[in-house]
Order: sequence, then structure tokens, then C-alpha cells
Amino acid sequence: MQPFKIALTIIIALFLQLLLSNYFRFFRYIDLPLLVTIYFSLQRAPFLGMAVGVFSGIGGDAIGGGILGVGGFAKTLIGYLIAVTSIKFSLEHPLARLAVVAIASAANTVLHAGLNLMLEQFLPTLETWGAFGRSVGWKALSDTAAALVIFIVLDRVFAEHAQARQMAIRRRFYD
Amino acid sequence: MSANPTSQKAPWVLAILLLSQVVLMSTYAQHPESEQSILRTWIMTVFTPVARAADSVISAVTGAVAGYTDLRGAREENIRLKADVERLTKELNEAHERTGEYDRLKAQINLPNLPQYRAIAANVVARDTNLWFKRLTIDRGTLDGVKRDMAVTTTTGIVGRVIHVGPNHARVQVITDKYAGVGAMLQNSRRMGEVRGLDQEARCELKNIRATDQVQVGEAVVTTGLDRIYPKGLMVGHVERIENDPHGPWHKIIVLPSAPVDRIEQVMVLLVEQKDIEKELGPEEIVR
Repeated sequence: MQPFKIALTIIIALFLQLLLSNYFRFFRYIDLPLLVTIYFSLQRAPFLGMAVGVFSGIGGDAIGGGILGVGGFAKTLIGYLIAVTSIKFSLEHPLARLAVVAIASAANTVLHAGLNLMLEQFLPTLETWGAFGRSVGWKALSDTAAALVIFIVLDRVFAEHAQARQMAIRRRFYD
Repeated sequence: MSANPTSQKAPWVLAILLLSQVVLMSTYAQHPESEQSILRTWIMTVFTPVARAADSVISAVTGAVAGYTDLRGAREENIRLKADVERLTKELNEAHERTGEYDRLKAQINLPNLPQYRAIAANVVARDTNLWFKRLTIDRGTLDGVKRDMAVTTTTGIVGRVIHVGPNHARVQVITDKYAGVGAMLQNSRRMGEVRGLDQEARCELKNIRATDQVQVGEAVVTTGLDRIYPKGLMVGHVERIENDPHGPWHKIIVLPSAPVDRIEQVMVLLVEQKDIEKELGPEEIVR
């Protein structure tokens, strides 16, 4: 897969996150850099998952505010774990991919909140357990809904690689 | 299955990447001006012109659509606006009269004039990219004379302060952000407190006003200048409601900001620095 194309995808995701959240308030609940990280992590390549996680995470921190490295840490770890899991288990089915997005989104929110707490940074969504639970739930739901569209677009953009991946998975798990 | 040597290296690479980001986090967390990082400046300097261009295109399209839809009902609006113009002209004349009288009285008792601050207009090109922080990004930066801790306002009230500045952009922490604080007072009773962001429904809370003090719903809240960021006398908002704990020593005063901080598109940056505000306050008020 061409590194240039992947880098461009990360940049576009960051730019759209910056631009669209200005017009649509619900976009605060959607994390495009995270969705890009999950998509590339599902390619069964831990290094790719980690690399995309680092760049999209730190990029997200830069455009979003707060302490640099918090989003990078969370997304790097999530990228690696998804890549390793996708090697061991078949996560090709669309429903499996959506379940991965929901779990990864919740994990990202929990990691983000935990790291900020460790760094003694107060986050408004951490005021009560109820508020935090709602944030985790809404973010997971929004990210999963957005992934329905984003993954279709990315599958088309990276069509050749998607086909090769599906063949490899068929050989690995079913033949 | 024999493990691929490249795959065996992955956990080590992960550990190095995570460790390097822990170092990055620790470095910025202990730095009081963590918002102002070089990496952030670089990324935003590249993104801001593109966001500005995209914003212009989207604004032009939405403006054209809004222009067409606004034509419906224009006649009724015109009649209402004419009535408004008549009423406002009368009020303006009265205000001129009062200003003249005020100036004459002020000259008689040698009261100094309120300082006039230079301001530049800016467009909001991005906002709230995530759940965690309430920030606006504006298309003015150091090249336009913007510096950290400058106040950002509209004609109706304050919006926030500059917390990060790059060559062509600045990031503004809005007053409804939980981290934001503004030195403020009730305009009528002159009781001083601190306005803190509530993050809920774009509201703030005026803190440190004693429960024994009289507070009226609708009373204006203005800046004191004591935070040395916002010059004295700028409008913050109005008291929306008072949620008192009968046994608590302080009022819980919810303030509705005068500026529409959650949907603002254009702002003004006051090119005022701390030293200008200190000069205006005088030594007695700074000590207080």
C-alpha cells in the first residue's frame, strides 16, 4: 500500500475533523483520525496500525487542544491491539468490523480520560460517572455510525489492497 | 506456525512509541504554557489557510441559499424593521443627550476617560474538534499583532482569550470552557467574583458572591480587569438564574453569556496586553 496515499488519508481525516466540527456540533462525537487508525489496523499489519495511530493521534491532539501525546498514546495502543487481534481472528465481516469500531471508540475515550486524569487535567465529561458513561456511549455509537460510511469510502480508495487482504484471510482461516 | 521476525519486533516498537509519547505528555503537562507547542503551531499554520478557503466557499454557498430563503417574508420584515429604525433613532437621540451630559459632568469632576483599545476582526475557522475542550480557531495570528492572553470579544460581550498563537492563526479558549476564568462583577451591586465556564448549554457560573448579597435575575455581569486579560467594564453576560443551597455560604449564579459563544462566526481581538490593563487599573486595584 502506498505510504503517500495513507499519509494523505490521515491529513484529509484531520482536515475534515477540523472543518466539519465547525459546522456540525455532533461532529465532536466523531473521531475521524481514530476511524482511519482502525481501518488501517484491520489490515493485519501491526506496524502500519501503530504508525497510523501515532500520526493521526498526535495530529488530532494538535488540532484539538489539550496535552500533546495523549491521543497519540491511545491511538498507537489501539492500532497495535486491533492489528494483533485481526491476525489471530477473522474480523472481515462488516458486523465484526463495526463491533471493533465500537469497542475501540470506547477504549479510546477511556484511555483519553484516564491519561488526562493521570496528568491532573480536568475534563468536563468526567464530572460524574453518569456523564462519563453517556460520553463513552454516544461516542461509540457516533463513531460506529460514521464508520459505516468511512469504511466503504476507504475500501474503494484502497480497493486493490482490500481484495488482496480478503484473499489472504480466506486462505488463512477458511482454506 | 513459526513467528515472523518482523512481527516479533512489533511489541518492542510499540513499547518505544508509547514510551516516547509518555515523555511527550510529561514534558507538556508540566509546562504551564502547554498549548503553545511548536508541533501544534506547524500543523495549524498549514491547516488554517485551507480551512479559511473552505470556509469561504461554504459560507458563499450557504449565504446564497439563505439569501433566497430570506426573500420570503421580506415584506413583513421590512415593515417591522422600519418601525425598529424609528424607535432606535429616538433612543439614539436620547443616548446622545445623556452622553453629552455625562461628558460635561465628568469634565467637572476630572474623571479620566475610559481607554480606547485597538481591535482587529477575525473569522472563526474551526471549533470544538472533540468532546474534551471548548476552543475556537481564528484566522489571525502573530503577523496581525495577536499575542497570547489577548481578549477576544464581539460587540455584545466577551468570547474568550487567546491561549495559542501561530503566524496566521490563534486558538481561543471560550468563557464557557471549564478551564476558563474571568474576573467579573455584578454591574449594579459591584460585587466582585469569578466567572467560570460550566460547559453545559454554553453557560457560565459567577462564583464567590456571598449568599447574603442581593442578586437580581437579569442583572448584567461585567469584567473587573483584575485578571489582567479582559479590560475593565466589558460585558460578560446576564444572570440567568440563581440556584442557591440554603446552607451554603455562596450564591450559585448561572450566567448566560451575552456573546453567542457556541455559534459565533466573527470576533474581534483586542490588541491589549497585561501591562496596558495594569496601567488602566492602577496600583491599588492590582494589589486587591
